[in-house]
Amino acid sequence: MKLMIQIGLVFAVCLVGEGASAALPFPFPASVISMLILLLLLLTVLKVEHIREKTDFLLKNMSFFFIPAGVGIMGQFDVLRQNLFPLLVILVVSTLLTFAVTAYTVRAVICLQERFRSKRIEKRDGAAP
Amino acid sequence: MTQILESPLFGIVLSIFAYELGVWIHKKTGWAAANPLLIAILLVVAFLSAFHIPLEAYQTGGDFISLFLAPATASLAISIYNQFSLLKKNLLPVLAGCAAGAVTSMGSVYLLCKLFRLDEQLTASLLPKSVTTPIAIEIAAQNGGLVPVTVAMVVLTGILGAVAVPALLKLFRVKNPVEAGLAIGASSHAVGTSRALELGEAEGAMSSIAIGVSGLLTVLFSMLIS
Repeated sequence: MKLMIQIGLVFAVCLVGEGASAALPFPFPASVISMLILLLLLLTVLKVEHIREKTDFLLKNMSFFFIPAGVGIMGQFDVLRQNLFPLLVILVVSTLLTFAVTAYTVRAVICLQERFRSKRIEKRDGAAP
Repeated sequence: MTQILESPLFGIVLSIFAYELGVWIHKKTGWAAANPLLIAILLVVAFLSAFHIPLEAYQTGGDFISLFLAPATASLAISIYNQFSLLKKNLLPVLAGCAAGAVTSMGSVYLLCKLFRLDEQLTASLLPKSVTTPIAIEIAAQNGGLVPVTVAMVVLTGILGAVAVPALLKLFRVKNPVEAGLAIGASSHAVGTSRALELGEAEGAMSSIAIGVSGLLTVLFSMLIS
């Protein structure tokens, strides 16, 4: 599809997302709604090829779009300096914990699933001698 | 001179070249710590400070760039769509792992903030630190957090995760690629995922799935809290 139409399509989805976010009775991020709408479209009518160039550009250069938000840190230097130690502790501890809990949960679920599956196979084999 | 600073093009041009320099340094060194976004932010901050340019002058152009955050977030749908069959096949481990990860991340941040007696604004800025930047920004803004602090913490979390991945895999005896990918994605989003991709295709795919799913779950959980 023409690049201009691709851009228009993605922006239109975001516009609808913003409208939907404003219409919802509770706060829900507009861009996340747009993401869900786009996923829904991809699962139904839209093909990835239809918007490939535009979204490739956005995905590949994703971090570029966060530069201004990050540069805003200039206005927050005092907050950082005053809380440097707590921020570092929070950074390290919560990242470690999140990694460990996710890994162990996935391990436990996969283990349970496998046990469940082999039991079912045992049952089936046992019932049909 | 002031005309140049007043133009929105000033912030845009500065950002583009700072970013490209960051990408170049990242490629040259190959270090996870040489994150292009981090380098670009540091370069822009250094440039503005060195020439005593007010932040407002930069943000005139910066606002134009931020406008593309929503379409960039929406494009994550493509990543999820590309991994959809893998997501369906591992639905239970993905949902359970990401939910546990999201709760752990937010819970531990919240408790530590309370322990250090940080104020509400700072707590709101830190809560979404383990999810991908576009989603974290929205959650922080909605709960009254300081968005720049959130961006800094999210990027640092990603870098820490990426750098620590080999040690963490060994420490927690992670061998299954599904387990490795999900743990990396849930704890250190896209920056960690770039590292997971180096481990293997399955690790990278599971890690990208974890970015989207953890992001969504964190949005839902933070709605329940507030």
